[in-house]
Amino acid sequence: MRRFLAIARTAAIETMSQPLSAILFPVSVLAVHILPSLQYHRFGVPGRLARETGLSSLFVFGLLFAVPAAVRSIGRELESGTAAAVLALGVSRSLYFMARLSGVLAVFALFFAGVLSATLLSSFSCVKASTIFVENGVVRVWGPAFAVGVSGAILAFAASAFLNRFASRRFCMWTCILAVAFQIPGLALIEGVSSLVSALPAFTSLAAACLVYIMMAGALAVRLKANGVAVLVAAAAVAGFLMPVGFLVPDMRVFWLEEGSRAVLMPLVAGVALAALWSIVGCVLLERKELE
Amino acid sequence: MTMEENVIELKNVEKTFRDFWLRPLAHAVRGLDLEVRRGDVFGLIGPNGSGKSTTIKMILGLIRPTKGTVRLFGLDPRAKAARARLGYLPELSHLHPFLTAEETVMYYAGLSGMKRKEAKVRAAELLAELNLTHAAKRTVGGFSKGMARRVAIAAALVASPELLILDEPTSGLDPIGTREVKELVEKLASGGMTVLLTSHQLFDVQDICSRVAVVSEGRQVGGGSVAEIVANAKDKRHALEEYFEERLNIRKDAQ
Repeated sequence: MRRFLAIARTAAIETMSQPLSAILFPVSVLAVHILPSLQYHRFGVPGRLARETGLSSLFVFGLLFAVPAAVRSIGRELESGTAAAVLALGVSRSLYFMARLSGVLAVFALFFAGVLSATLLSSFSCVKASTIFVENGVVRVWGPAFAVGVSGAILAFAASAFLNRFASRRFCMWTCILAVAFQIPGLALIEGVSSLVSALPAFTSLAAACLVYIMMAGALAVRLKANGVAVLVAAAAVAGFLMPVGFLVPDMRVFWLEEGSRAVLMPLVAGVALAALWSIVGCVLLERKELE
Repeated sequence: MTMEENVIELKNVEKTFRDFWLRPLAHAVRGLDLEVRRGDVFGLIGPNGSGKSTTIKMILGLIRPTKGTVRLFGLDPRAKAARARLGYLPELSHLHPFLTAEETVMYYAGLSGMKRKEAKVRAAELLAELNLTHAAKRTVGGFSKGMARRVAIAAALVASPELLILDEPTSGLDPIGTREVKELVEKLASGGMTVLLTSHQLFDVQDICSRVAVVSEGRQVGGGSVAEIVANAKDKRHALEEYFEERLNIRKDAQ
């Protein structure tokens, strides 16, 4: 267990230390707060645009940092000889594969928490605004919630710069952590839990689909170069939107368009099962690979 | 010679790499026999592409031989019990660029099963021994090649292994760094550690190794005690270089 945690922790630090992560974490949160404030685009339902923006951020930005992180975490380690140095110490290959990807998944879970928190706050802000300003129909967001959410994302940069300057902490890593952490206080502004409950099924099932793509990228990275993995994962994502693939690739029409009222259990189970299948594929490929 | 005294034993080992269609691509090692005894500082020398790194990777259990047997501490090299007793420095030390020198050494300590407190003390000890205390809190991504190499050596030594395998340990080091590594290997050997190293710096190998094997095109073409090689040489200072060239020429003539 100690070995697993040491490897996973290193993979998580590496993932959060990438400049791309430090940009995407706060930008995703900001997008969720700012886009619904744009006028004349709310799909007729207060809070709907916030939810759709949140889901899009989770899928697009989430995969944009997590898939390359998974590829780097496995493929680059194997190419560079870093994996050989670890495996030579008697660390099991399957443990190594699972621990590295668990580190990436832990960071994705943090991203999920940040985007979900921002979406809940933003949805509530839209609903609250529509009840207050229903008469003039101009204002689309509620000021206090909007201010807390946006300033949280911006403050993350400032606070991590401060930590970097005065406590030598990693700037990119702390930007990721604080961009999420600074969304949490805003949740206290939310009145009632109905908006929370309605957003959860869609987010949970989409996260399960992302889990499949991350594990798929990690498994393919054992054998293929980064470009090859990127092409295959992108093709799988497109295939998921176009047809009911469902065997090795999630059927994205089910995952993405999940409404709050529909059951979340089946997509969730399907996602976890597909991710488990890809993790087994990755472990087998790595066990059989010759580390030349 | 019993199995217990041989820390590493290779018997008639062959390795053929194959392409996707399983057609032979390269015969990296051909019928190699090798014995490294407890307490040896053993140098595996040969030109580029002679099969040194492939041999080391078979000893580490990272690749399987096509034919023959490899034993590490008398066990299969993939056995955990065997690999728990070794430290390994790869030819290319690609460390995690976002970890500090201290975190890197502690990471490898963690992989060896050491507790965090114990790992911190051990990391500080090793970084001091390799003159890296001043850089302990800096991320290794900003290190020079020589400094990164020293961090990798510290990582290989963190669990106080019985067998240390060094693939080109002085590669990228300046003369002072090279001298420090040589002194360190000598110190470890005097403490009873078995060392297997590969290097193109024959001058350094002659200084620190007790025995050598010369490999070329996957075959052993020479080897023996360094003291004997030096005693039989005309130019004592360049004895190993002379011997190396002589063995390679013999191999070419035989072809």
